Amino acid sequence: MRFWLPLALLALATPTAQAHDIVLISGGPALRSFERYRTASHDKYWGNFIDSAILRAKELQLTIAPTDQIVWLVFRPSYQRRSQEDQDDYLKVLEERGLKAGITPIYFDNKTQLFTLLRRDGSKEKPKISRLEYFGHSNKKCWMFDYSNRVDGGALEPLVVHVDDLDQISGKSFTSDAECISYGCHSGEEFSQRWRMIVGRPMIGAVGKTDYSEGGIPKLSTGKGGTWAF
Amino acid sequence: MGLLATLALITLLPCLCFAPPLPLRSSSASSTNPATSLVTEPTPEEKVPAEESEEEVRPPTTEKVMRATLRAAHTPAKHGRTDGPYLIAQRTIVEDYCGWGWVRKENQSWRQATWIAIEGTPNLCPIPHTFLPKPEDDKNQQYRFYGEFAPYRAYEPQADMWVDVFILKGFMSMGPAEPIRRDPPAQASSRPNRFAERGANMLKP
Repeated sequence: MRFWLPLALLALATPTAQAHDIVLISGGPALRSFERYRTASHDKYWGNFIDSAILRAKELQLTIAPTDQIVWLVFRPSYQRRSQEDQDDYLKVLEERGLKAGITPIYFDNKTQLFTLLRRDGSKEKPKISRLEYFGHSNKKCWMFDYSNRVDGGALEPLVVHVDDLDQISGKSFTSDAECISYGCHSGEEFSQRWRMIVGRPMIGAVGKTDYSEGGIPKLSTGKGGTWAF
Repeated sequence: MGLLATLALITLLPCLCFAPPLPLRSSSASSTNPATSLVTEPTPEEKVPAEESEEEVRPPTTEKVMRATLRAAHTPAKHGRTDGPYLIAQRTIVEDYCGWGWVRKENQSWRQATWIAIEGTPNLCPIPHTFLPKPEDDKNQQYRFYGEFAPYRAYEPQADMWVDVFILKGFMSMGPAEPIRRDPPAQASSRPNRFAERGANMLKP
């Protein structure tokens, strides 16, 4: 008895490896009918935010703990509309690509659904988020999931996360050492700071524009003096 | 001299006094009225009512030529549901600014107009410029817009503005108009932000 009691106490005291979620968010592409004639035309390729997220998932799979899980959130309506425009089925294509990388998309149709998906309590069903990365359109104040998709050169109110909406994301949903990155344009100019102040976790974002045109993980646009900030 | 004058009278008088010879029967077969048969029948090409021939002769005005050669002339005159209340709308293009243009009520001036973003209604009415090769082809065209304002707004990323969204159910094309000398809204939260003023923590590359 004397021998087993300390062992049992030790076992209880030892922290068990807790599962966490790694969240990757893919925003939607613009429609070519809106963007085709612009000087700075966006999204010639429909899958910029899909391919980069999948590539990042593959990178992360090599480093994350076995208990951790990659959760891939995809803004669905923009892909449906772009599919109609291009006469293709991009949802099917992205699901197939995700399957090859071992991730399955979870679709969301508006920001309210996204906030619900990001709400975590640390339970087995809703583990906390240890990493969050965003791939999509943005400016310094806003993530725009449907930029230039339903309205020309803009995004609809229910389909953007503005800095004023950030109080709907709780810092309690994240682990204390969670890392967040936004690969959208200009996020590091204000969005990151507001995220840090309101959500309570640092977020790395770009000062300047990001470039998805070469495929892979987006880079800072060259020649504009951009940098990453948090 | 008197003999010469008499001779001239004898030769010229029949020409002046006698009626011209009657036309041949074959050439006036269709005509029942001998009086009309005397008039030369016009060819079908020449047989144009007086009013139409006047229009043909009238040269087109510069304005008409300009309208006809505009690409926007290919927009349907009317499309979708065009009954009920409407707004006067004018397409205005501002580079790198979200939205379609200005709308106002019939009895309002452009000073009271609202800047809108626009959404078409699937299977009922697309946005007018989708009928044209390029979105800017209907610049400064005026329309009557039938539809309603959406319960949500659109985000304008350059100015950090919220813009009203109009859901288009139908339109009537009213032709080109003078440009509206007014900038779209820009204000409020686009100003430097107190959070941004603190400066970002730059990461060294």
